[in-house]
Amino acid sequence: MDSQLREIWATAPGTPFLPTVGKGTQFTVGFSLLLFGVALFGGFALNRSFINIPLLGVPASLALAVGTVYMFCAVGVYV
Amino acid sequence: MKSIAACAAALLALISPIVTADTNVAGPSVSKVTLPSTFKPPQVFKNANLVHVISLEKNFAKEQINVVVENDSKEPQDEYFLPFTSQQMERVGGFEVKDRKDPSLTGFVVEAVEYDPLSDTQYYRIRLPTPLPLKAQQTIGISYHYLQALTPLPAAIEQSDKQYLVYAFSAYCPSIYTTVKQKTEVKLPGSDIPEYTKIAGSGDVKEFPQKSGAKLTYGPFPEVPAGAVSPVKVRYEFTKPVSHVTLLERDVEVSHWGGNIAFEERYTLYNQGANLSSLFNRVKWAQSQYFNPNSYALKEMKFPLRIGSTDAYFTDVVGNVSTSRFRSNKKEASLDIKPRYPIFGGWKYPFTIGWNADAKYFLRQKTGDSYILNIPFLEGPKQPEGFGYEQVHVRVLLPEGAENVNFYTSIPESSITEVVVDQQKTYLDTIGRTVLTIKARNLHDDFRDRDLIVSYDYTFAASLRKPLVIFGSMMSLFVGIWFLSKLDVNLSSK
Repeated sequence: MDSQLREIWATAPGTPFLPTVGKGTQFTVGFSLLLFGVALFGGFALNRSFINIPLLGVPASLALAVGTVYMFCAVGVYV
Repeated sequence: MKSIAACAAALLALISPIVTADTNVAGPSVSKVTLPSTFKPPQVFKNANLVHVISLEKNFAKEQINVVVENDSKEPQDEYFLPFTSQQMERVGGFEVKDRKDPSLTGFVVEAVEYDPLSDTQYYRIRLPTPLPLKAQQTIGISYHYLQALTPLPAAIEQSDKQYLVYAFSAYCPSIYTTVKQKTEVKLPGSDIPEYTKIAGSGDVKEFPQKSGAKLTYGPFPEVPAGAVSPVKVRYEFTKPVSHVTLLERDVEVSHWGGNIAFEERYTLYNQGANLSSLFNRVKWAQSQYFNPNSYALKEMKFPLRIGSTDAYFTDVVGNVSTSRFRSNKKEASLDIKPRYPIFGGWKYPFTIGWNADAKYFLRQKTGDSYILNIPFLEGPKQPEGFGYEQVHVRVLLPEGAENVNFYTSIPESSITEVVVDQQKTYLDTIGRTVLTIKARNLHDDFRDRDLIVSYDYTFAASLRKPLVIFGSMMSLFVGIWFLSKLDVNLSSK
């Protein structure tokens, strides 16, 4: 046990933790990113060339990755 | 550039999960002192004046000893011992010691003494902040409580009968030191006290106790030798539930991505009051709610939660229980629940409640990647008759990759039995979340809202672990699809 934590908590009152995306907008952000990712995925499915991996695959993967995390949070599974 | 470095660090962290899994906790987990089996506490103190207050107003026995201790030896002393029977040791908890004349004085250390497990007399050792000089006095207030100390008598009654409880104790406060002057006050919930042990009085008083309303007073007694006891019993009306939780599992899940703290509490609840002497009659019960709502059955519980709590739920083994009400506004957040059935003596009701709260109410950024979390250690129901907890397991699930975990709690250190830091995998986890588990025993609802402060480090790189894992999986899918599209699966014509 570290009794100093009590004083540290008392002396750090001005910096409450705020998430990058607030609870109210998590669904919008998550859904938009997932939609964008799926659309790019569809584009890649139509033309499966190597150049489309960095052009469509990377942004699609990024959008799906962040979108999945926010969609989990939006439905109440706070990961 | 900074974000590229952070991403690289995160990828490195993914490759070597052992690095991020390195967590530590400072301080001992169990407040105990081990002494030789031949140990006998030295007779170095004298109790110059002692007032023993036993409060039976709730469904556990709360005791307070206000004593003027005097150093009766030739050297300064700082170790004061308090005796308990081995049965009492299992049920005692919530030890707190204060200086009655200077409440701001801190530094009293309470530890259970481990010396001979077969001995019927066990001790708690109170270490004074500064050694007491020769013949000097200090007024200390020692408070603790016993759970499962009240026995219903009769043990079985009708469902609309009054319930009576019995409490056995000693009219002389158990002490290993000579007590010059003392008295024992027993505070009861009402004046209906059909039986209590009478003992010979002293001085002008013929017999003890003296009864005034809901209070019995044994003493004042003249000098009592060390180790003297005078067993007495009191039987009093307590037509309220004797709620006792054998195990409370409280999970607090911290999410940085969601900005949320999720609470879940799983109760294994018993009513340790009198059993029903005949079968439960639902019609009689419904009638009694109109003309005599007082009952020893537990029919509802009120959980005052922190302001800002949302999404409350109440389930049991069958599923969702609809008889609950949740109010959450700017002034209060209260969850009122009614179990599926009234819980009579000897009955059990396991149930689960949970809720969410914004992280901003509990979590602060200390410096850079360092965070500090302040949550209540216990948030059980607030019942006028009290609520006892035999085992409390509090698990704080920190984000995946959190390290350097440290904690402080304002519940008595002697109540903590174990502290463990390990990991647990939940959704989207690869190495698992860092989990701080604190096990405590023998607590009651007066300790609700005591602080549990947890500090931890959580780097930006560690926070990117989840999206990077999904990103990696999706990229492999894209490369896999491209690779498959290049394969020629047509049957070749010869």
